[in-house]
Amino acid sequence: MGRDLKLENLTKRYGRLTAVDHVNLEIHEGEFICFLGPSGCGKTTVLRMITGFETVTEGKIIFDGRVINDLLPKKREFGIVFQSYALFPNMTVEENIAFGLKMRKMPKKVIAERVDVMLDLIGLSGWRKLYPAQLSGGQQQRVALVRALAPDPQVLLLDEPLSALDAKIRLRLRAEIKRLQQELKKTMIHVTHDQEEALSIADRVVVMEGGQFRQVGRPIEIYKNPSCRFVADFVGTSNFFEGRRTDDIVDLGKRKIKIAQNGSGINEAVSLSIRPEHVEVFKKGEPSAVDEPLNLVPGRIEVVVFQGAAVRLLIEIDGDEIIADINEKEFEQRSLKRGNEIFLYFPPEAFLVFAEGEGKT
Amino acid sequence: MKPIEPSRKPFSTWFSADNIFTGLITAFLLVILVFFLLYPVVVICRLSFLKDGFFTLQNYLEYFSEPRIFRSFYNSMFVSLVTMVITTVLAFLFAYGLTRTTLPGKGFFYMVSTLPLIAPTIIQALALILLFGRNGVITRYLLDTSWNIYGATGIIVGEILYCFPNALFILYTTLSAVDTRLDEAAQSLGASALKTFFKVTLPSAKYGIASAAALTFNLTITDFGIPVVIGGDYSVLATEIVNKVFGMQRFDLGATISVILLIPSITAFAINYYLTRKSYAMISGQARPFIQPSRPLKKWAFTAYSVFICSCILLVFVTVFLGSFVKTWPYDFSLTLKHFDFPSLGASVPIWTAFWNRVLEPGSLRDMIAIKYAPIWTSLLVSLVVAVVGASMTLVAAYIIEKKKPRGEQLLYALSVLPAAIPGVVLGLGYVLAFNKPYFLIYGTIWIIIINVVIANFTLGVLSGTANLKQIDKSVEEAAVSLGAGPVTTFTKIVFPLSKVAFLSTTTFFFMRAMTTISAVLFLVSAQIKLAAIEIIFLDVDGRTASANAMCTVVVLIVGIFLLIMRLTTGSSGLSGMSSSK
Ligand SMILES: Nc1ncnc2c1ncn2[C@@H]1O[C@H](COP(=O)(O)OP(=O)(O)O)[C@@H](O)[C@H]1O
Ligand SMILES: [Mg+2]
Repeated sequence: MGRDLKLENLTKRYGRLTAVDHVNLEIHEGEFICFLGPSGCGKTTVLRMITGFETVTEGKIIFDGRVINDLLPKKREFGIVFQSYALFPNMTVEENIAFGLKMRKMPKKVIAERVDVMLDLIGLSGWRKLYPAQLSGGQQQRVALVRALAPDPQVLLLDEPLSALDAKIRLRLRAEIKRLQQELKKTMIHVTHDQEEALSIADRVVVMEGGQFRQVGRPIEIYKNPSCRFVADFVGTSNFFEGRRTDDIVDLGKRKIKIAQNGSGINEAVSLSIRPEHVEVFKKGEPSAVDEPLNLVPGRIEVVVFQGAAVRLLIEIDGDEIIADINEKEFEQRSLKRGNEIFLYFPPEAFLVFAEGEGKT
Repeated sequence: MKPIEPSRKPFSTWFSADNIFTGLITAFLLVILVFFLLYPVVVICRLSFLKDGFFTLQNYLEYFSEPRIFRSFYNSMFVSLVTMVITTVLAFLFAYGLTRTTLPGKGFFYMVSTLPLIAPTIIQALALILLFGRNGVITRYLLDTSWNIYGATGIIVGEILYCFPNALFILYTTLSAVDTRLDEAAQSLGASALKTFFKVTLPSAKYGIASAAALTFNLTITDFGIPVVIGGDYSVLATEIVNKVFGMQRFDLGATISVILLIPSITAFAINYYLTRKSYAMISGQARPFIQPSRPLKKWAFTAYSVFICSCILLVFVTVFLGSFVKTWPYDFSLTLKHFDFPSLGASVPIWTAFWNRVLEPGSLRDMIAIKYAPIWTSLLVSLVVAVVGASMTLVAAYIIEKKKPRGEQLLYALSVLPAAIPGVVLGLGYVLAFNKPYFLIYGTIWIIIINVVIANFTLGVLSGTANLKQIDKSVEEAAVSLGAGPVTTFTKIVFPLSKVAFLSTTTFFFMRAMTTISAVLFLVSAQIKLAAIEIIFLDVDGRTASANAMCTVVVLIVGIFLLIMRLTTGSSGLSGMSSSK
């Protein structure tokens, strides 16, 4: 067992507001964890409690087998990367990176070597004498990244480090963070509200809502197997239906749908979700031999959006809008167009079923 | 496996280096402010209400029942209200010209308009006397009239000149911050220029206007330098206090009048403070859009107006300069340096005496420099110490208030802002009453003067410090801490370098105030310790007007040189944003 970080019933209250509500998590050494959630769900607060800049109301933070709730921030030796870069404007790139090393009273020669290594890591050696204001946002954030890494922190915490950057640079830097993490095998906790970002870089994703952890798991699990309606909605795109289930038939009011799972109760309220890529589209008149005729629904293509390899169709059925993704080749072959009358098919096994009270059945 | 709990948790958290650091400094600042600000004021109040150990209103009855004395209250209110109205209107028009029209030479006009800040208030009165006094070059020489400017008129004109830059600063900030696109929108909707001005421009600047007015009122009612020189028989509260104390040794009456003066002065300050906050809250932070070229008539009208105002201000300086170099104003205009051979004697600080004895040969030059100029060297020494101590203390106080927010932070903030509300004369009298004790060793030394000037000007230092610190991202400090920096390193390596510009301008401000202040230190000078700005008054009272002018010239030159040095070494002009407002 390495130097793990453990949160036990961690809670933060600001007066009557509970910003973080009894969360539990075990983060292993060398793991890349992503906290994902909408703005205001308490991500920053969890991070600040871990760094020690925020006090803990209840619960424990345990690092390497010790409770560190009351340890001073500087004693924790955790590196932090901020959304606003937070470089020292009065120091050059080099001095910024050396700052943490000087604080640890390392010999000059060691510092110089370490700074070189760090600058190489981000390919900014030519910029060492420049001041932060002379760098672009992406460059500043890269400097901030190695500044935090230079003293070889136990854990690196990143609070929305990419949010302030342009879309293109964001993707580049995202890949760079991932590469650094794999090279250095450093425990990293990365906070973001961007689900794509979270799924693409993390070993494990923690989905947060209202101060609580809704689901913790590998990106693929989170995507394929969301634990509740909130996760299904927040991570990726889903179509939702509300209805009442009896056995394996869900009554949506206007029509009935067959699903793969049998319910226990009779007439129990459920929501169904299905990912756009699982929805099948047939042109009227095309042969549509499907397993379950009940789930074949007529509709009309309202909007066509090209997304590169996939094409996203917004389809109207029964006055509702359904999103279906089909690949571009297929779209061409079938010569689908806006205004086409079509059939949608929902494979019963593609539905995720959530009871009204959130949890999955 | 059970995690290891630390054994002494509350202890170690509470006694962290950071908390000790913050706590000690907070306590230090609180003690200083309570002892050197609150205590003297309390002593004054106590004296005014006590007779032989019992509570009494007798002093107040005496004041209000004697019409001749009560007049000073009426007079103070009158000159302050008139000055307030005129100054606000004049400064508003000037600020409007600078921010809303395309008149040429804005930078020059703005710079000239801030000049009164570098001189003692008394300079306005000296100039007006040279121009319009009994022997004024205009009244006596050009018009040969017996009318002269002494009294209410002189005070009002002098105060307008002195308050102008202070009011202007607030109005300039307000008008340049309010979105000019509102004006453009109104005009594009068909409103006439005049209607736009009254319906859009004026209302949008209302808080700024009101706070400039309140500040002007406060500055006028607390000023001592102008009324003492040009007031003649026209007594105001500030001069009446000094009169009672110096003239009649009636400390109790002086204290009573002080309390009476405190009421309008604190009220005006509170209004100014409240409205400035409100006005700045409305600032949109958007970049100022391009100003439409003004119509020629408007442009030239505002140019002519700005030239007029700046000429008046320059005239004051030129007149006093001339007055110190001509033989007998206004009869003999041949040039001479004899007025710079000051009659005042002695009272040197030992350091300086030793210094001059070392660098100069014995003789009349050394006597003049070392003895007759002693007040100037004392002032310079005091001002340099005040500049460094004042700027450092206020920056630390601002840092504690803005970033550390310890327990007692609000008290610290309140006490830091309070000094601007307390008239200098009142604080000075409070020092005499509170600290003129044999066991109080620093009384009668330059240290009490230094403390007094630092405390009296604490407000602006703290306010400009907090405004500056607000701009430092909290994450920058946290980054330093997370990299292992302690509280002291964080302050010296990060916070201080990022506050350097604000620190230098606060340094300049404290230096200027220490060189030019009169009212605050009037009671603290003595036969042993003399200050240049105070000597101006004594020379004037002695009838040595020309030497008073010369002394004033010296003070202005020293401040000017200091500004120049600051500018050359740091590249930033100290004057911008250096009025008593903020
Ligand atoms: N210092 C504070 N005082 C009071 N409430 C706070 C404070 N900091 C955060 N909050 C509240 O706690 C909640 C979680 O905030 P935060 O952790 O910043 O969310 P996120 O980082 O996920 O956007 C929000 O409702 C926020 O308003
Ligand atoms: Mg956040």
